[in-house]
Amino acid sequence: MNHFARYVRGPLILIALLVAARYMFPNKMTFLFEVSTFGIYIIANDILYGYMGMVSFGQPFYLGIGAYAAAIYLAHIGHNIFIAISLAILAGLVTGLILGPVYIRLRGDYYALINAATCAMGLFMVEKVMLPITRGDDGLWYRARMHATPFLNLKMPGDVFWFTMIVLLIVMIFYTWLDRSTLGAAFRGMKASESKMKFLGYDTFKLRWLGYTMMCVLAALAGSLYAINYGFVNPSITEPARAAEVLVATLLGGPGSVYGPFFGTLAFLGIKDFVSNIMTRWELAVGILTIIVCFYFEGGVWGTIQTIGSKIRGRFGKKGDAAASEAAQPPKS
Amino acid sequence: MMMNEALLNVKDLNVSYQNLHVLFDVAIEIKEGEVVVVVGRNGAGKTTLFRTIAGFLRQDSGAITFRGQDIGHLPAYDVAVRGLKYIQQDKHVFADLSVKENLELGSYATKDYDWDRVLVHFPKLKTLMDRKGGNLSGGERQMLLMAQSLLGQPDLVLMDEPTEGLAPHVIDDLKGVFKKISEQTTLVIIEQNLPLTAEVADRVYAMKEGKIVAEIRDKQEIEDLAFEKYL
Repeated sequence: MNHFARYVRGPLILIALLVAARYMFPNKMTFLFEVSTFGIYIIANDILYGYMGMVSFGQPFYLGIGAYAAAIYLAHIGHNIFIAISLAILAGLVTGLILGPVYIRLRGDYYALINAATCAMGLFMVEKVMLPITRGDDGLWYRARMHATPFLNLKMPGDVFWFTMIVLLIVMIFYTWLDRSTLGAAFRGMKASESKMKFLGYDTFKLRWLGYTMMCVLAALAGSLYAINYGFVNPSITEPARAAEVLVATLLGGPGSVYGPFFGTLAFLGIKDFVSNIMTRWELAVGILTIIVCFYFEGGVWGTIQTIGSKIRGRFGKKGDAAASEAAQPPKS
Repeated sequence: MMMNEALLNVKDLNVSYQNLHVLFDVAIEIKEGEVVVVVGRNGAGKTTLFRTIAGFLRQDSGAITFRGQDIGHLPAYDVAVRGLKYIQQDKHVFADLSVKENLELGSYATKDYDWDRVLVHFPKLKTLMDRKGGNLSGGERQMLLMAQSLLGQPDLVLMDEPTEGLAPHVIDDLKGVFKKISEQTTLVIIEQNLPLTAEVADRVYAMKEGKIVAEIRDKQEIEDLAFEKYL
């Protein structure tokens, strides 16, 4: 198969499903937008958690960085939505480059907790310290200041959906490439044994920093999409209590797998959407499902789909010697 | 570098784990093309010596030079990039990655994609390319680790108890592999299997309680297991 097609095929199918769902369930557009944006947010978290084994209890901070960078620009400085998104990405990049060398020195529970502390500080900053700029709990409202954009008018939620589809497609193609690349293997290698990676010749500090910065950029991008879709941002986006959401969704989908974030997001938001119609505390259903996944479906939704798929494939034949010989070729350097 | 100059030179090496002094004035010298075996009982300091040379532990004092360059204060990845590889005792391959991906990691770090040169020593690996590292047997893991470490054409490979826990027929296979590999690179091996040591070693260092207590150069003495009395 064409080299590029290997990375594009899966993401295209998933995007096509979302687009089909938009027409089949026209009143669910907000839900589908949430799936797309939250999906990018989960991909960001999965790079750290799924691939590198670094659990963070402070992911809303990184989402908030992007959301507030875009919102502050649109509310106080300019009107161009593309500049707002670019600034959010830049803010994520700068956060990764500055905080990365400090935070990634920590491991395990210390890393998780320093992120929780950062998230709490971030909430305090936007709620109190930066009150004149962020308007505290009242939040920033700027839809009227947003200028229409050519081709896709990002002032309109319908067009934001299409724009988000394009962004999600690009992010998923990148993520598929990452999963199958040696860089992805190196991330997973570090999760398994950092010392072994060092003995192979890898500067694991730089690798972790790269992964952390990727996470910051993608989370900030997701935050900016929230900001332009709703035309409003308030401190609840950075609440530390929401850190569990991203971890649960990653776990539900299957950490460290290429389509796990998509299915995790779908499962998490799907349950939230469905159960909240029946009972107020939808978190109970998510909690029970998470416990079941932890005990019986270690690979999450995507892992289970893969297991079933490989059982079906196993029933209909095995690879021959020719395939094995082909597999023994190194990748093109 | 002159031919008779040492490839690896360790002088007066002292290493501690916090307040516990583990290595005492250790000095070894490895020449190019040799197969040197380090023997000693558990706790003698063999693994600590290897981990210090490989850059994973810091010495209190002493010097480690590799190809004439001081590597004593370099991080582990830098030591590896310079051509000194270390295969750990635990036979730890990346369990979630396939054999092919494990090899790719070795290639990517060293930019050496000539797998044929390496896999000629381990033909079995060619048939296991898609198998996850976690599903390999002990012998297959050891082969994968050796193949991985040979990528980048290192000048020196440190192997920490490569035959530990392996079946006798696998050890016999590895014996032949050691001999073939030693034609391409210098090997320093920690080994508890004394008959194997006698077969493969050009020189033997015996360690006891953190010190080098003997160096046996005579091949006949090595074959007669003369170093056993120092253990």
